Amino acid sequence: MSRYRFDRKQLVLPYLIYLILFVVMPLLVVLYYGFTDDQGHISFTNFASFFTNSKMMGTLVYSLVIAVMVTVICLLLAYPVAYILAKGEYARKHSFLMVFVLPMWINFTLRITALKEILTLLEGNLAFHPFMNTVICMVYDFLPFMIMPLFNSLTKLDKSMIEAGYDLGADFPKVLTKVILPLSVPGIISGVTMVFLPAMTNYVVLDMVYNSTYIMGSLIGSYFSSYDWNNGSLISAILLMFIGFLTIITDKIVSKEEGEEVRI
Amino acid sequence: MNVSGKMKCTLLFVACVFLPSLFVSGCGGQEAEEVTLRVCNWEEYIDEGGWDEEELIELEDGTKIFGENNLADDFEEWYFEEYGERVKVEYSTFGTNEELYNQITLGDVYDLACPSEYMIMKLMREGMLVPYSDDFKDVSQERNYYSKGVSPYISSVFDTLSINGENLNSYAAGYMWGLLGFVYNPDEVSEEDAAHWDLLLDRNYFRRITIKDSVRDAYFAAIAINCYDEITDEAFVGSPDYHDRLSAALNRTDPETVQAVEDILIDAKNNVYSFETDAGKADMVTGKVVANEQWSGDAVYTLNQADEDGMELCYSVPKEGTNLWFDGWVMLKRGIEQDERKQRAAEAFVNYMSRPDNAIRNMYYIGYTSVISGGDSDLMFEYLNYCYGAGDDEEATVEYDDIDYFFSEDPTGDRYTVVTTEDQTKRQLFAQYPPGSMVDRAVVMACFDDESNDRINRSWTNVRCFDLERLLF
Repeated sequence: MSRYRFDRKQLVLPYLIYLILFVVMPLLVVLYYGFTDDQGHISFTNFASFFTNSKMMGTLVYSLVIAVMVTVICLLLAYPVAYILAKGEYARKHSFLMVFVLPMWINFTLRITALKEILTLLEGNLAFHPFMNTVICMVYDFLPFMIMPLFNSLTKLDKSMIEAGYDLGADFPKVLTKVILPLSVPGIISGVTMVFLPAMTNYVVLDMVYNSTYIMGSLIGSYFSSYDWNNGSLISAILLMFIGFLTIITDKIVSKEEGEEVRI
Repeated sequence: MNVSGKMKCTLLFVACVFLPSLFVSGCGGQEAEEVTLRVCNWEEYIDEGGWDEEELIELEDGTKIFGENNLADDFEEWYFEEYGERVKVEYSTFGTNEELYNQITLGDVYDLACPSEYMIMKLMREGMLVPYSDDFKDVSQERNYYSKGVSPYISSVFDTLSINGENLNSYAAGYMWGLLGFVYNPDEVSEEDAAHWDLLLDRNYFRRITIKDSVRDAYFAAIAINCYDEITDEAFVGSPDYHDRLSAALNRTDPETVQAVEDILIDAKNNVYSFETDAGKADMVTGKVVANEQWSGDAVYTLNQADEDGMELCYSVPKEGTNLWFDGWVMLKRGIEQDERKQRAAEAFVNYMSRPDNAIRNMYYIGYTSVISGGDSDLMFEYLNYCYGAGDDEEATVEYDDIDYFFSEDPTGDRYTVVTTEDQTKRQLFAQYPPGSMVDRAVVMACFDDESNDRINRSWTNVRCFDLERLLF
């Protein structure tokens, strides 16, 4: 019997167990339920009927529109903030960052409740603009998740690259589009993935701002509460594939851009 | 000694198997004395005690009622005094009937639970319940407070409901009951408008009314709108089997009806403020909405809250017909497991909750109406008088006398009358003890079969989803 020897590789074990128990196994269960019928036979009818039902596709489109809008607005708001914070010559840079991330310390239902009252004050009746209110509340909710990764990638940005751009005669818009933006793509991508999926599924926000139209998350919830595990799991699986697809595409874009950089 | 790997495994295995059993047998002696009762109830659905001193209820006959401790803790003490046996209540809560059902079917074990009528029927149909014992129904025993005190009206409603040829009375003991209606702001909504379900479609209240975000409550409102002409027809109302026919009409689930309901609900969705799960109560008080589909118990809560803010809200029950709902205690097979001591403790728990003073404590604390009318004790009626009886200095008083159906075996009798202020006939008193004329038009919403449920759930999804077709064509 050989003596037990500690190996650095074994440090990964706790996480591996966690991964298998709480990520891989539930995922397999979701896939199993998603592609079987209520008798347990493998079936693709649920899958097919999802894509042929105009109401289901409508929900997918509705969630997508919300998610894209929220992500784009978050990005437009967060990028200048993150840039100024990262590049500005402030003494306590991180304290300023804290101010922007501070809302995350308060429970989000509490924050949305407060925002709801402010919006009611401004609009009079929230029920007239459910879509707009949803987007506003989600942007408010998810903005810190966009600022953080952008800030991190922009602080790491090599200043000499920007200076080189100016030295070669480029003006600020050109430096921004040709130097700063491409170099911060990893930050943008991680910010986008942090915001996009929650925006497609977080139906609590919709409930709270009185938007009675379902998004993908509410659809999953409603199927589960009527004991329809198969359809609920199917929609989770479709969302999963959707996000997976998105990640692959963005990865391709990033590696392509990095390839171009190397060529330069 | 060199212990080999295999041996180590064996030792470990032995330890794993036998050590826990040692603990179990170690506790065995104690277990024989103490019964554990696992109770699962709705959130905030029992008196949790901790009342302020001024909350003491002092009835006219001198009875004082005060909630010092949690009622479940009080039960443990009472059970020991009464039966000489220790019982430990493990109390947990659930948020919706579906959540409770999921918990039970996914393996959580409870002895006693308190679902709503349709879920009781579903559990009965699936054979998951234990019937109450003959002992429980013996009215000659002093401590059988439920059988002695349950309202004859509730008992008769239970009698009309049966699943697999068995009566609901044998499997369930009622807890709270009420009617579905509207809380409304009398300054904004007229009494007449609030007395019909089509208030939900009324353009005058565009985006100012909420409807419940629950399939069954929304479905009921829409089906009542759908067959309004039929059920208000004079020949229909005057027919001798009116109540049965009303119940049949409001429980329809055929495809045409479901389609019609879907269309009505889509119209409603485009007219109401929102579908709400819990926000409606607060939104009534803050004035965001002017009417709100609500169960009577929550209505009382909302009205009380509004009173504190100096705002007067009212409650109405649609005249054409409404939903009679109740929650009741059922014993679960998987928990009781033919353990007689456990069943006795469970039945004692129901009886303790049904003792008039405890029923009053629960009513005071949660705002719902107990199914207990008191039997030979007049405490429940005294409490009603205590809450709503008009003082001598009140000027505009009325006699509210159509409540004999609830308190007395003789529904046409005239024994129970409360002199109250005029506004109470549209407010808390009306919500807690609706007059017999309203109750005659209330039907229980049945537990639908799986096929109908599928149809209704699908239609509900259709109502709530964004329709791509409408956008494209």
